[in-house]
Amino acid sequence: MKRRDFLKASLVASAAVVGTSVSAGVTGQPIDSRKVSKIAFPEKKPLITYSDRPPLLETPREVFTRGITPNDEFFVRWHMPEIPTFIDVETYRIKINGLVENELSISIAELKRDYEQVEVTSVLQCGGNSRSAYSPVAGGVQWGSGAMGCAKWKGVRLKDILNRAGVKKDAHWIGFNGSETAAYYETPNFVREMHMDELDDYVILAYEMNGEDLPYLNGFPVRLVIPGHYSDSWVKMLSNITVTKEYQKLFFMDVAYRVPDNSCECETPEEKYKTTKPITMMNVKSVIGYPTNNTVVAHNSHVVVRGVAFDDGHGIRDVLISTDGGKNWKQALLKDADRYAFREFRFAYKPTTYGKVTIMAKAINRLGAEQPFAQDVKWNHGGYKYNGIDSVTIEVI
Amino acid sequence: MKKIILLSILALTTLFAQVDEKVEIPYMPYEIKMGKGFDAIEANCLMCHSFGYIINQGPQSRQFWHEKVVKMIHHFKAPISKEDEITTTNYLFEHYGNGKEK
Ligand code: HEC
Repeated sequence: MKRRDFLKASLVASAAVVGTSVSAGVTGQPIDSRKVSKIAFPEKKPLITYSDRPPLLETPREVFTRGITPNDEFFVRWHMPEIPTFIDVETYRIKINGLVENELSISIAELKRDYEQVEVTSVLQCGGNSRSAYSPVAGGVQWGSGAMGCAKWKGVRLKDILNRAGVKKDAHWIGFNGSETAAYYETPNFVREMHMDELDDYVILAYEMNGEDLPYLNGFPVRLVIPGHYSDSWVKMLSNITVTKEYQKLFFMDVAYRVPDNSCECETPEEKYKTTKPITMMNVKSVIGYPTNNTVVAHNSHVVVRGVAFDDGHGIRDVLISTDGGKNWKQALLKDADRYAFREFRFAYKPTTYGKVTIMAKAINRLGAEQPFAQDVKWNHGGYKYNGIDSVTIEVI
Repeated sequence: MKKIILLSILALTTLFAQVDEKVEIPYMPYEIKMGKGFDAIEANCLMCHSFGYIINQGPQSRQFWHEKVVKMIHHFKAPISKEDEITTTNYLFEHYGNGKEK
């Protein structure tokens, strides 16, 4: 072999290596075969259970035929194992301090009595929902698609509370602290911050969920509700709100819950992108609640495909269904819903072939953003923001 | 008068029985593979979370497990000695590994 040819050959060889390493981060459908556990946690039905300390519970797919997720089936995600196991509602106080004219210490009774009571129906979704779709495995809980839910939250506008406290002129950041504490004193606690500009009428301190007290595991007695944002911002067991001028450096804000700061928010396992940004707002997504994988239906019978779709509050415009693996798409019927809520869809389907049929759902929002095919979702090391077209495979007999 | 009655009704609302006293978070049994180095896992990895939380990552490379252990030390300030950093990594790779170094 002449030297030039050898060089050429080795160039081709190295290109091939680069090629495989680039495609090494791949995406498919999230795991959907996990069964609910036999153990019921307080106020919950038995759910898909990943861990007891901290409690990590996932909602099974069947629940997503309805726009409201029942409290006892709503997913649970804590970061630290030490959840306070008793809360005295009489003595519980939410403290407002920092750059305010009057520091406040609000009891639950005062929260329900002294402020305007408001309601917002909103989706709550973990930024790592569907993480098991990413390969190689992205670090964190290997969720299927049930780390999400939608509820009617009742509470008080954060704005009204801050107005009563009187925010000083140079205040820019609001820090939120819950009663979830680390097991080891040097582990950073779970604290969030929000910029003043993000504050609108929809941000509330909620004490009620679907007409009942917040379930203990969903943040009793009060949690922050920030519609459109992923759930890492929805601080549970809210105990302290501090207004500051400067941004405080926080582990969970600065290291966890971040994606590559490029336009595709993607990277490869070998070459992680150097700068990152917070996950913040949710992308457009839909999940099929019925039928589920391996459902058996009779030929020529009358199947109603049902599911839910949502985005970050722009609103869902269309949900399209395919029963031929994504070649042809037809519109599903949509039910009216508030902008931050699950939008229910349903689609009449009469199976006219035999054997396996793959049903897919694709949501499109009012801005025209639509879900990509699962394999076109780009990999990121934290496994965040998966929103591939959902698919279930049934059998027609 | 009417208002006062209303208020007292509000004050009487009771909490759901599972949460009006100390909440009991159930313990889950996890199947744990016994072997060399398990003592180090028990001593170093179960104070902040359960075993289930560790193994739901699925089978992983040695590098992956090592990076996790280092993350625990670096970010979460886990007090783990250099020796146990290696022992726990070896245990995890041997029992929950995918056979690949990287
Ligand atoms: C000082 C407390 C502490 C100790 C000790 C500890 N961890 Fe962790 N670990 C954490 C915290 C905090 C998290 C992240 C919690 C969250 O984000 O939900 C975590 C998360 C994890 C995860 C989930 C994946 C991820 O990247 O977040 C794995 C796996 C894990 N730990 C393994 C281990 C192993 C193995 C050991 C023993 C070598 C260990 N941990 C010891 C505090 C600890």
